Amino acid sequence: MLRACVAAVVLAAGAPAAHAYEFWLRAQTIGQVYQLRDYRLIGPDLFLGRRRFTQTLALRIWDVGDLSATRREAHLPDRGLRVSWQSYLRIDHDFGEYTSGRVILQRTISVRRDALDVTPELGASAASLELLYGYVELAGLVDDRLTVQVGRVLADDGWGTSAVDGATGRLAVPETPLTVSAIAGLAVRAGSPLGIAAYELDGTSGAACQEFVEGPTPGSGTWKLIDRNRQITNNRLLSDYELCPQRDVSQPTLGVSLATATLHGFAGEVGYRRTWSSTPGLIGAVDRLQHPDLGLYPSQLAPATGINEERLWARVHGTVRAGGVAIAPYADLRYSLLTAVLDRADAGVRLARGVHSIEPSIEYFYPTFDGDSIFNVFSIEPTMDLRLAYARTGAFGVRATGWLRAYHHEAGTSSTAGGADAGVQHVFSASWRARIDALWDDGYGGRRVGGSAETAWRAQPTLWLRGRLITLAVARDDGGTGSSARPRYVTSSAVVSSTWQLSDGVALHTILELDNDAIQRLQYRAIGMFDFAFAPEP
Amino acid sequence: MRARSATRTLVAGLVIAVAVAVAGAVIAAPDPDRAAAWSPVMYPMQRLPLTFSHALHLARDTPCAACHAAASSSRSAVDNLLPTEAACRACHPIDRAQPALVLPGQPPVACLACHPGFTPDAPVARVYLTPPPLKFDHSAHRAAPCETCHGDLRAVGLATTQHLPTMAACLRCHTNGSEPRHCADCHLAKLGGLIETRFDQGTLVPTHDGLGDAHDLDFKPHHAQQALQLGATCGACHDRSECVACHQGVVKPMDFHPGNYLLTHAVDARRGKPDCSACHRAQSFCVGCHERSGLGTRGDTQFSSIDPERAFHPPGWATAGPGPNRHAREARRNVTSCASCHREDECLTCHSAQPGALHASPHPTGWRGSARCKALDRGNRRVCLRCHITQDELGCDWMR
Repeated sequence: MLRACVAAVVLAAGAPAAHAYEFWLRAQTIGQVYQLRDYRLIGPDLFLGRRRFTQTLALRIWDVGDLSATRREAHLPDRGLRVSWQSYLRIDHDFGEYTSGRVILQRTISVRRDALDVTPELGASAASLELLYGYVELAGLVDDRLTVQVGRVLADDGWGTSAVDGATGRLAVPETPLTVSAIAGLAVRAGSPLGIAAYELDGTSGAACQEFVEGPTPGSGTWKLIDRNRQITNNRLLSDYELCPQRDVSQPTLGVSLATATLHGFAGEVGYRRTWSSTPGLIGAVDRLQHPDLGLYPSQLAPATGINEERLWARVHGTVRAGGVAIAPYADLRYSLLTAVLDRADAGVRLARGVHSIEPSIEYFYPTFDGDSIFNVFSIEPTMDLRLAYARTGAFGVRATGWLRAYHHEAGTSSTAGGADAGVQHVFSASWRARIDALWDDGYGGRRVGGSAETAWRAQPTLWLRGRLITLAVARDDGGTGSSARPRYVTSSAVVSSTWQLSDGVALHTILELDNDAIQRLQYRAIGMFDFAFAPEP
Repeated sequence: MRARSATRTLVAGLVIAVAVAVAGAVIAAPDPDRAAAWSPVMYPMQRLPLTFSHALHLARDTPCAACHAAASSSRSAVDNLLPTEAACRACHPIDRAQPALVLPGQPPVACLACHPGFTPDAPVARVYLTPPPLKFDHSAHRAAPCETCHGDLRAVGLATTQHLPTMAACLRCHTNGSEPRHCADCHLAKLGGLIETRFDQGTLVPTHDGLGDAHDLDFKPHHAQQALQLGATCGACHDRSECVACHQGVVKPMDFHPGNYLLTHAVDARRGKPDCSACHRAQSFCVGCHERSGLGTRGDTQFSSIDPERAFHPPGWATAGPGPNRHAREARRNVTSCASCHREDECLTCHSAQPGALHASPHPTGWRGSARCKALDRGNRRVCLRCHITQDELGCDWMR
């Protein structure tokens, strides 16, 4: 006992002084209660309740180690090593019957199963703990030229965000206007620790996975649903049936890009990113199957690894002024080396003069998917969009957009869709604004005509009220049948919401939505949200 | 066919009309004065009840430092650098006891000369300035001539905050100043390192004349291009959680998708807007919801591909033999909409070269030997194996 006390005193005396660091956090507690329709051909539709609880926590800890405290106190720009932590954690749980309920499969004999077992994708909201990002950042290394992030870092090529468990680095090359960035690690998947499906490459699902089962003679096998020779636990929070080894393997990711500083108003970047994965082998014991078990794939033909994504991208952006007009041209393109197609490209120019701006642009889109997805083969026809947008900023704000989309068919023909939408907003006072929007579009996909009116009123210094009315007439297209009996309906929706600031930085948001149309009469949705880092919108 | 042609003409006509009208409106707009770039949030309200002419003083070659002596040593934007009466006395022999004094041949010394509305028995109207919410070190810039930042004041009477430098003036020299990591060099930062944007005098938001990423009415639904900008400054004011909370979020953003979008989203999905993929993954988000709503193929759906009365798709959608087989055209046009309900194994029922399948080739004309075939085969043969399981069928040179 005496030795323990002495040791404690020695440790206490020798312990370094505790540091308190600046931190910023934003916590949100979200409760959602609403129903979704389960469409039935016979009899009335069912309604599936969602009772969803979500807790989020965004955290930034700044200048760990007080390395730049001296400069900060002297009001000098941050220079030298700065260490920080940024993360976003989310707990999501839906205990309504939508996710946690059961379904009856209409087979030869009706089978009753947990919804999660039939649709494992519902597990994303059944009970999940997700780290959307979380990394340590070391900034100001190597004479303020190098920034390093380690942890779950976000990877962004401009057309979407994914995450990588690994590291990124950004180095300004000395004596040049160039910056080199690199990212390396394992792509975050639904199966990753604290993973999230939304970061996965699209095209492959977590259900109906198949394995190759060899036949009596070599080469006579077929793909079959994976034999689920596993113990069924009837866990309501996890799918008991689905096993998808290819979706569970790790996906190493490597990326590098080279960017220029702004030179004469222009900057450019070229980049490359590759994600690959190994081919799963045996599932369970060798003798699990009736015939020789060769693994998930016909092993003599399967490669050891396969590429899931391999892309090159380039972009050039600029801003110059001429005759009082700010001219901001841009061009971006992305090429999929895996599928040998240019899958995204756009070009345009924003012309701004005072409070006015116009932006003509063109966008090209060729859907590509995860390299393991057969949808890459099915995807054949790209689309091209022409878009013209106008905006006016200020107390009387205006926006208007016209667009035209062309679908290029293999046979050389094409289809089109197009439309326009516009809106005006007037800020009457610091506590009241109103907005009206209108929409019209037509062509491939259907026709929509409608509009919305919205007002926001700050009734008291701590109470904001908003209301919105929307009416939309919809006529779906004929689906290529040539039929004149296009389904038509009018849908109306009213949304009222309030924000009540309970104390400094704490607010309660409530939203009530009522929808009415020929299919759903007075469908409602209610959302409540506690916000522990509330800051009013401008 | 005629209706479709008319629609195209109408759409094209509308786009051209809007283009012409908008271009005309912008070009015809008055040339934006400097106030368009000047921020009332950065330079808040002031009251300068003074009569003064920079033009007259500069015409006499009075150096700036003669009146603004503290400027060269100031290290903070909070410092008041306006000359006091003591500084004026260097040239103007003011005598407070004789407020109406006029000295022939001397600069004005009467109180009324500088203080409009001055009356001897009333207090002098006070000068009121609110310090700008900025970090600025005049002493670090003393090597540069004053007019580099403050412009030519030789034609200016009373200079106000309207004559203080804009951010564009700073960026003329600080060419990397618009990089997000440098924002807090000048702007005040709050806890966590993000820029402070909310002040009593208003909220700091980008404008067209600032960094070109104006947060106008169209910004929320169409900010992809601004986010794509090299060196985009989003992260200076916004925490990354604001992005992922929406793009990978769990709450339908009410001001983004219109009310009852659940019912009307099919139009957008069918058109194959690439925007959907910015937040939604077809093979998890869309499939999961469609299956649970009875619209998919694995749940408790009552739709049927065999019974025409219970078919989800119109007649002739997928035909095994000769027939319209309309799904082929739709899949080629936008396979993502197919992937929002169907999983790969359903496609493989027909589109496979395996025994028992229909051997319906989904490949486009000229697939064999094409660059696409070779690239995919070279990059990931696993996907080829889903349909072709014998060595002689693999590669891009095989012949059936």
